[in-house]
Amino acid sequence: MAMTFEQGGVEALAAIARRSDARNVPIDNFKYPDGVHIVVNFTLDFDAMLLRRLWNEPALQRSKGEFGGRVGIWRLLDMFDANEVKATVFTPGRICELYPKALHRAVAAGHELADHMWEHQVPEDPALEQDHLGKAIAALSAISKTPVIGTRSSHTPAFLRRLGVTYNSFTSARSMPFYQLDENDENELLQLPFHYSIDDAMYFSFGWLGTPNAAQRIYDPETVLEIWWEAFQQQYRAGGYFNLLLHPFVSGHAARVDMLERLIQRMKTLPGVWFPTCGTLAQYCLEQYPFAQQARPSK
Amino acid sequence: MPWKQDYTISDEVAIADADIVWPDGKQCGFGIVVDLSPATSLAGLDEKSLRYPTYHFGLHEGLYDFLDMFARHGLRTTFAVPAAIAAIYPETIARISAAGHEIAVNGLLGEDPLTLDEGTEAERVAQATDMIASVTGARPQGWFSLPRANDPFATGNVSAKTIDLLIANGYAYFGNGLADDAPHYWVTDFASRKHLLTLPYYYHFDDRFFLMFPSEGTGLERPGTLLRNWQTEFAAQYRRGRYFSMTVSPQRSGCGHRLDALDPFRRGGAAMPGLWNATGGEVAAHWTRHHPAATHLKLEPSIWKSYEGSLD
Repeated sequence: MAMTFEQGGVEALAAIARRSDARNVPIDNFKYPDGVHIVVNFTLDFDAMLLRRLWNEPALQRSKGEFGGRVGIWRLLDMFDANEVKATVFTPGRICELYPKALHRAVAAGHELADHMWEHQVPEDPALEQDHLGKAIAALSAISKTPVIGTRSSHTPAFLRRLGVTYNSFTSARSMPFYQLDENDENELLQLPFHYSIDDAMYFSFGWLGTPNAAQRIYDPETVLEIWWEAFQQQYRAGGYFNLLLHPFVSGHAARVDMLERLIQRMKTLPGVWFPTCGTLAQYCLEQYPFAQQARPSK
Repeated sequence: MPWKQDYTISDEVAIADADIVWPDGKQCGFGIVVDLSPATSLAGLDEKSLRYPTYHFGLHEGLYDFLDMFARHGLRTTFAVPAAIAAIYPETIARISAAGHEIAVNGLLGEDPLTLDEGTEAERVAQATDMIASVTGARPQGWFSLPRANDPFATGNVSAKTIDLLIANGYAYFGNGLADDAPHYWVTDFASRKHLLTLPYYYHFDDRFFLMFPSEGTGLERPGTLLRNWQTEFAAQYRRGRYFSMTVSPQRSGCGHRLDALDPFRRGGAAMPGLWNATGGEVAAHWTRHHPAATHLKLEPSIWKSYEGSLD
């Protein structure tokens, strides 16, 4: 099939765009349970120093990540518990061998453990990919004592489904929960979308994703609080969805924990704000709005 | 932890806020680190950086204004000094030291030790230590490896041998760790529990990343963000009874209106009751006495498993 302008002109590009669009299936007439006006998911990407180690970054970069495991995660969980927020901890399987106490503490308080790859990478070789994914799900399930149904990853949807994963939180393609098909229009997964503009690393992490020094704009908590409060209010007016992506090594710093607590307390001044885990929201979506009942966009 | 070499440097769970004790029942520890390095490249200071007009300002007017302000408010600080700077400006260092501030080492040249081979790094640690001692008359207690503004990472670097070298050279603490926001123990050998006390650093509280960043004239001047970072973190750490450390440099924060910005911070934060302002060496001495590694460092053996196709 023609895949480039040179091979097939604009029509080839249009076909690619249409196929890509058709993979995203919205849930029509979506409504939250009675009394709920908006769902807020606090999602923690708990890789600590694992990605720093994977990329062979130097010792103090790894220490920056280590903060998330020995300090940040505990503080965030304490704050969530004090404010009756249930969080979802997207956890690389290897973290079970580095920070088991924090994970047991999260599970004991009713927070959800979900997959975030085995070592924060998805191997290209399918056999190794399945090996990694299987190890991650097994390690997390052993701690959570319940099936792991969520991921934040680019793992192959067919492999995920085979292991019981029903939702992913790894796209900004839509604002509300929706279904996403794989490249073969099969193996749908529920997507609980996040957005980079409500991702702590964009504001607070130096050199994120290889950005050069002159491009750094490190923010302060007060400014970010106002940006996120505006973003929440916009979604609230729309009866929407708010998935806040936090890294314990970033947002576990004291001033940011306090900022997040103020944000939660502001949200709670409005009626109908629900703070469940992603798993709880996913189960509601899957039961009330199963994929089979959704109208597929034309290809 | 479970301890894991090359992943972690300390124990699995940090000291709880409630377990931290400051002298005389004080509420919160407060440290100011003054960075005197002109280095702009990984190799450390050189002809170009020593000739920067802003550095000249920083070592003269900026520094004198810093010292006046510290004296006015009764603040005692820790100067992180490349040893070569101490050797070049011994009278300046003597003046700082006489005002009650600690002189700690920031490398021989403010360099990145990852650019040195093992033998050279060992020589430079010994040489820098002797150089500072000959200027101040006392062996330095603290060693820093602070970042330069153009570094790929805003953390500073240490090599795999740096902390062991510091232990061998009798240092009481390493000054810029990032695994905690309170003092903590950096372990270099699990079996023997060999360790060095480490004081926390975070680039969000370092003026280098907000004023004239990454270099003078680039227009990335964000004093309001820096001030709010200091204020909010100070408030949060004070409430927790933990520790707050800020890093300032006279060529940046010592300049006119920026110096004024430190004053409202002081009025808002540094004047709070129950604050224990101390030098790095004093914090290290207090910490090792009241939170000794023997009782407070809780290391557990690794449970990491080896698998084919996975990380070592």
